[in-house]
Amino acid sequence: MAVSREHKKSTFEAIKGGYFPPKKLTISDKLKLHRKAAGKIDPITYEVIRHSLWNINEEHGATIQRLSGSPVAMYALDLNPSILTEDGEFVFFGPYMQYMSGVADTQVKWILENRSDNPGIKNGDMFLANDPWVGAAHQQDVMLICPVFHEDELFCWITNCLHQYDIGGITPSSFCLSAENAYEEGILIPPVKIVENGEIRRDIEELYLRASRKPEAVALDFRAQLAGNITAKNRVESLLKRYGADVVKAVMRKILNDGERAFIEKMKRLPDGVWRDRTYIECCRPGDRKTHRVQLILQKKGNKLVFQNEGTAEQDGAMNATFSGWRGSIMVALNQLLCWDQYFAIGGALRHVEFDPTPGTMNCADFPASVSTAPVQAMEISLYPTYNVLSKMIYGDAKMREDIMCIGGTSQWPATIFRGTDQWGEPYGYLLVDPIGGAIGAFATGDGISTGGQSRTPICKLPNIEHTEQTFPLLFLYRKEVIDSGGAGHHRGGMSAESCFIPHGTASITHDTLSSGNAMPTSTGMMGGYPATVNVYKFKRETDISRLFEKKTMPGDISEVNGREETLSLRQQDFQQNPSDVYSVIWTGGGGFGDPLERDPTKVRDDVIEHMAVSATAARDIYGVVLSLDETVDIAATQKLRQSRRAKRKAYPVVNGTLQTRQIKGKILREVTENLFVRLDTKGSGKQRKRWCCRACSTDLGALEQNYKEGCAQLTAPITTANPNIGDWKRYIDDEPVFRQFFCPGCGLLIENEISRADDPLLMDIQIEIPA
Amino acid sequence: MQSFQVGVDIGGTFTDCVVIDSSGHLVAAKSPSTPPNFAQGMLNALTIAGENLGLPFEEFCSKISLLTHGTTVGTNTLIQRRGAKVGLLTTKGHEDIIHIMRGSRGIDTRNLNQIVHFPESQKPDPIVPKRYIFGVSERVDCHGQVVVHLNEDEVGKAIDALLKMGVTAFAVCLLWSFKYTAHERRIAEIIRMKAPDCFITCSYELAPKWGEYERLTATVLNAYIGPVTSDYLKRLDAKLREAGYRHPLQITSCGGGSVSVDRAIEAPLLTLDSGPVSGVTASKFLGQFINCSNIITTDMGGTSFDVGIIHEGRPAYNFISNVAQYEYFIPKVDIQAIGSGGGSLARVDAVSKTLRVGPDSAGADPGPACYGKGNTVPTVTDADVVLGYIDPNNFLGGRIKLDRQKSIDAVQRVADEIGLSLMETAAGIAKIAEFKMADIIRKTTVEKGFDPRDFTLFAFGGAGPVHAGVFARELGVQKVLIPLNRIASTWCAFGAATADILHIHEQVEIQASPFNSDAIDMQLARLAESAKAQMNRDGIVDGRIDMKFSIDMRHRGQINEVEVELPAAVSKKSPKLPKKGLVTVEQAFYAKYESIYGKGSSYGNARLEMVTFRVRASAATQQLVLPKAKRLRTGVMAQALTGTRKVYWSDLGKLLKTQIFDGALLQAGNKLSGPAIVETTDTTIVIQPNQTLRVDAFGNFELHFGA
Repeated sequence: MAVSREHKKSTFEAIKGGYFPPKKLTISDKLKLHRKAAGKIDPITYEVIRHSLWNINEEHGATIQRLSGSPVAMYALDLNPSILTEDGEFVFFGPYMQYMSGVADTQVKWILENRSDNPGIKNGDMFLANDPWVGAAHQQDVMLICPVFHEDELFCWITNCLHQYDIGGITPSSFCLSAENAYEEGILIPPVKIVENGEIRRDIEELYLRASRKPEAVALDFRAQLAGNITAKNRVESLLKRYGADVVKAVMRKILNDGERAFIEKMKRLPDGVWRDRTYIECCRPGDRKTHRVQLILQKKGNKLVFQNEGTAEQDGAMNATFSGWRGSIMVALNQLLCWDQYFAIGGALRHVEFDPTPGTMNCADFPASVSTAPVQAMEISLYPTYNVLSKMIYGDAKMREDIMCIGGTSQWPATIFRGTDQWGEPYGYLLVDPIGGAIGAFATGDGISTGGQSRTPICKLPNIEHTEQTFPLLFLYRKEVIDSGGAGHHRGGMSAESCFIPHGTASITHDTLSSGNAMPTSTGMMGGYPATVNVYKFKRETDISRLFEKKTMPGDISEVNGREETLSLRQQDFQQNPSDVYSVIWTGGGGFGDPLERDPTKVRDDVIEHMAVSATAARDIYGVVLSLDETVDIAATQKLRQSRRAKRKAYPVVNGTLQTRQIKGKILREVTENLFVRLDTKGSGKQRKRWCCRACSTDLGALEQNYKEGCAQLTAPITTANPNIGDWKRYIDDEPVFRQFFCPGCGLLIENEISRADDPLLMDIQIEIPA
Repeated sequence: MQSFQVGVDIGGTFTDCVVIDSSGHLVAAKSPSTPPNFAQGMLNALTIAGENLGLPFEEFCSKISLLTHGTTVGTNTLIQRRGAKVGLLTTKGHEDIIHIMRGSRGIDTRNLNQIVHFPESQKPDPIVPKRYIFGVSERVDCHGQVVVHLNEDEVGKAIDALLKMGVTAFAVCLLWSFKYTAHERRIAEIIRMKAPDCFITCSYELAPKWGEYERLTATVLNAYIGPVTSDYLKRLDAKLREAGYRHPLQITSCGGGSVSVDRAIEAPLLTLDSGPVSGVTASKFLGQFINCSNIITTDMGGTSFDVGIIHEGRPAYNFISNVAQYEYFIPKVDIQAIGSGGGSLARVDAVSKTLRVGPDSAGADPGPACYGKGNTVPTVTDADVVLGYIDPNNFLGGRIKLDRQKSIDAVQRVADEIGLSLMETAAGIAKIAEFKMADIIRKTTVEKGFDPRDFTLFAFGGAGPVHAGVFARELGVQKVLIPLNRIASTWCAFGAATADILHIHEQVEIQASPFNSDAIDMQLARLAESAKAQMNRDGIVDGRIDMKFSIDMRHRGQINEVEVELPAAVSKKSPKLPKKGLVTVEQAFYAKYESIYGKGSSYGNARLEMVTFRVRASAATQQLVLPKAKRLRTGVMAQALTGTRKVYWSDLGKLLKTQIFDGALLQAGNKLSGPAIVETTDTTIVIQPNQTLRVDAFGNFELHFGA
């Protein structure tokens, strides 16, 4: 064999900023693709095969869960199987961790382009991969990718992805919160052939396991992934045998084409325009006090959507994600808001979605940025704003409006990573899973769902406290839903919860924190809705907890124990918690929808009295509702209070001081948000005639090309007024955050809120085009 | 003296009664159900059964040696949300357990809409609103050690407040109460002192399992349905005593046996889903006669399709169940259901222009289009009518007349939309429904380590035998059995009549290998003791009690548990592991684990963990003797052929004049070749081309594949 001296520079140089699959893939002639699809299939056969393909994918996921049995797979459901066409388009992905399948297609396409020649892709092969620059959320998410053949042609792909507890790096669990680059993180594996001709290649497997602190667990999980692929592959092969490859391929094409048609159908009903969202990440490395801006821009033109992240902060520290992480995040919301009626068949829609990020940014980081924490930080912050921009886009259609969902809970994950010796005398390490209990944001049609889980893992379950206490040396003082944690609004966001614990059965616990969104809320509301609570770490040292216990008293809240309060920083490493130290964590809740003053006062009353979701203080201060001593609404006092609030609101100065307060009488051209219409002015001429106005009183808010916010009465309030659970931001960041509110100068309706760094300009969140 | 063993099952429409006499013969009776006063319908059915035996009501009742009853009162109370106002006492700081629901929404993971479309995915209306939940200071840790002693002042105040709010039932569930019961016991004592008439459920007693959410929901659900169910059972019990019945009334449970009425009054949760479970009990019983120990049971009614598994003569169990989106602990015969019955609606998907069937259903009202009650969307039953499978004039023995034209109109509308012929469309609706049924069976077999090829499939329920021939063939089962014509219509009552008395007791004691056999023996002895005490309370003498022990085990650090049965040597007389028993148990674990999860899936280097210890204490009821034909006749009597009609056979792609037989006139040994149709008073059996039907010596119909 001749030794090649030529170093193929292209492979990884070309994907320094992440692999962007080209429209046309370059595939070696050695690999034949099965392209033929039957012309017409009857609708019955179609339905039977479609249903079978879905079931194959479901059984695939169930197999991994059964075989892995690891807490990660079972509680966090941090796995996902998918089926893709021969050229890497999604047919189905599974209902588990939604981030993951967002990266499966890029992996498959990369393998087609880079492995079809050497070492070749053959029946009986499988590829192992976790390189986030090829396509993975972070290194811990390991994929096993399996081609399925019909005779000598590549028919389709079966893939799965499963989070591994540890695959190396400077921090046990491979969440390397202080890593400065990828070399300090878990092993990077570009797709390698780990199964060849039906046999596991031991050399490759050992290379993989060698990197892990828990090789047995990784080995077991690898077998679960293997079994999942084999199950699915066998079932697809029997479908091919029974119905013929051309017929099954025709069904796959139809699933994609139907999904595409449905997507186009929806696009036709929506206006063209640009929607923007802006949010911030706090703390990219231990000691960091900067806020890092994250921007998302959605452009719709005709049938096409383009996502951009221009204006997002540069990559830095250990807060980053790669392109495929960013894209995968966006796909989660895209699927839930626009393609939910296609049941996890998103491939067709993707034909009309472009991703156009700025390289070197924190959510499209160049190699070798640190990305191991991506799913709990950079990807969450890439995903959740997508709900906002898509929701604002689909508001334009009365039917699609019903699908709107505000940002949900745990929009940044407040991690408590800890280790030590457990009550059984054995070493352990753990990341508290509780924040997966999340919350679902408010809908345009009703309230969000309290502790309804994280929308990116729609069927997950958090462990029972008794399970956690059996396995780890903890004693939970409480786990409870947090009053006022859901964003206020016409429809309230779901409440999140708080977990509070002390060490038990151990001398002490060694902790790391990893969080963001503790100073500035990241579950912002929408269309006047308020944000949910921020993440909160509370830590009290040397408390009187044992004396309380002796007095037969359990505290209902950490405020009821006395001790020395300590502020934990957002990436604090190696601090000790002793049995008298009380630690509690609140995760973010769901954002609210619409102006809280428009909420039915009896619902506010129920929130206070029945659901314990809103405090009496917030009922008065935010909702303008006064309750009587007999727990009913004081109607007269409420009306009066709300009136005075509206009067105060409309008296704030209008940003664009030249705009005179008047009503626009002409016809409604668009209902743009819950509070904002575009009307045709009966006066004036040309472009100036299309004008933003208040939904309730039609007061003029400026010309369509302008930012409607400039036509509003604006209040810049301290960030603490946005949610009662927000504390002093100075503990974590240097830049001052503010809560900007935009009211109708005519009637005082709250049109929109904005969470911003004080030095950032007003965000132009909506620009729409209305054809003449 | 003559004596009878009786089973009564109350359904939505009919109350069924099955009587087995002392020589093992069987009599069935049916009477309309009488909601809301279901007890009356039950007494009516007993009266009719007595008349069939030529005995006056009182005399018949006095001769009943065992009366077993299946009730849906608990289920209805839950569905209609008319249970008690429950006050919940729990460990302070953990009041929100039932609201947090482990951060899930309790949705069925098969419902894709609810998974991806959150606006359709709300949590249930709380069964206990927050203001009825009081935390009390106390705390126990994972070792069962008290960390904080029970604060009785707080307990007293909480109870007073709840009573003032008008609660009629209390649920008590504290953290780790299955390890340390004294705090819950003490709270119950205090409640009893303050409110002697209130219904009380404590979690340590009802569901002493590891996992506070599922234990607490079990406790709350039990308290919620407790007062209504116990009222009903107490009244019924009194009426039966008045009528002369002298033994304890038995109530069927979801565990696959029966419990005494006193136990059912304490733990009405055991009665939830007991109806479908009785179908599995009946199948298990029949299986014994025909040497069939591996059975897939399928019950296809109007709105749902239920699947159960019997493997080596034992029903498969589930230890977590789900009702009204709440998951709860209960040892229950595993029944998987999908909303795919005769009433499943067939619609054209707007985008793909293809056919979808279910999961929504026309239910019983308005029902299929052919019921003529206003539904115009075709259902599976309408497709069956169009295809000619079902005779509109002889549906369920002629009890309901169907309007064939309405079925045709409904199916035709769909056919026009998708551009297929009427018959192709009807056949398509049936086929899609059949594939969905095959899938759910696959999930309950293949995905749990069972190979359907080792099983016989039992098909019952009005709509089952119409489609069983197809979905069974999809799965590759050996054959389909449609049970005894004479009792098929009272199948669940038959299950009740033949149910053994069964109490399942569980105790969690988590221990890791290397195991200590003394610690294990202690658990087994405790279980034996409590099961025996329960049996004695029910009037069962020690000699009749049989005990089977098992332990749920897993690899340490993993979640999946498997139930490992202990060797027969572990018995009620000697509830402890024999010498070298530990090795046997560990080997049994590996074998079971690999049979479920696949060869090589277990991991010998990992430590093992025992979690739940369990005893199934049973007392067998009197055995039935099923009469067996002495002669088998292959030839079918001429009268059995009632006529012919045109039926569309999709395998052949055409309409064929097809012979129709009266099932009641078929005799043991008779053989029919498909295509053909057999009608009975309760169902229709469709024999597809290349299938044969054989009547066995007991009168069961067997469908065989491949001619």
